[in-house]
Amino acid sequence: MSLTVVIAVAALLFGIGLYGVLSQTNAVMIVMGVELMLGAAMLNVVGFLRYAWPEAVSGSFFVLVVMTLMALEAAVGFALITSVFRNRRTAEVDDLTELQG
Amino acid sequence: MSELSTALVFWPGAVVMLAAGVFVFRTPSMTRAGLLLLVALAVEGLLFLALASQFLGVLQLLMMSAEMTVMVFFMVMYMPDPGGLMGMDMTHQKRTSTSFAVAVGVGLAVLAVVTDWPATTLPADAPDVRAIGFEVMGRSMFTFLFAGVTILFSMVGAVMLGERGGRFDLARPGDERRAEQETEG
Repeated sequence: MSLTVVIAVAALLFGIGLYGVLSQTNAVMIVMGVELMLGAAMLNVVGFLRYAWPEAVSGSFFVLVVMTLMALEAAVGFALITSVFRNRRTAEVDDLTELQG
Repeated sequence: MSELSTALVFWPGAVVMLAAGVFVFRTPSMTRAGLLLLVALAVEGLLFLALASQFLGVLQLLMMSAEMTVMVFFMVMYMPDPGGLMGMDMTHQKRTSTSFAVAVGVGLAVLAVVTDWPATTLPADAPDVRAIGFEVMGRSMFTFLFAGVTILFSMVGAVMLGERGGRFDLARPGDERRAEQETEG
């Protein structure tokens, strides 16, 4: 067990989230991909807290802000999806092309 | 936690977390996708606990269990095929996204392995949850307050966005005429 292992696992989790963001057609699923990417960021910071700077308590609050960001990103994302769904009756991103030139 | 117990929790946890993360995007059922994401992020909370961040681990478990349960409802509401029984394909640009994600994920992991990271063993007098309590009343108070205010703003923004008709309400028949009369009068 070392920092390398934690960061490598976080990198793989980030890759999975990136796959979700790029490949999914539904906006709700894209939000889930972003959640996984932010989760990877948090795991990274926790790894650094454990293996590099155990005395840096304020690092926990950085993770706390990322965690808040995760919740807010989901809340505002769902509000946007709700707004889009009301107007267009769909949450599929492939159908939202009216700004395309 | 000792090094052995950390490893005993971390390795199976990491495998379960990554597998659940992959299956979120592989399962046709949206309910299952939401619950799998809950599993992935809750297990991440366990990893935090194993990595000696008790405060963050418990917080992650509490927040994600609530958030992902709410997410399942949204998934079922907005999905064209919530049960996954119609066999719809919900992915696009398959090859690009797969190759890009694999390249980034594996690339970063390789980078993590080859980089020479600092290595310290956890000292016996490492700060615990008690130190976090003092920290939040001291230097990190602003961060904590900032997170709270951000939550408040996002709540207002989300309600405004989600409201029927949006921020400026829907246009009704006769709105233009009324507006003209108001500017004339």
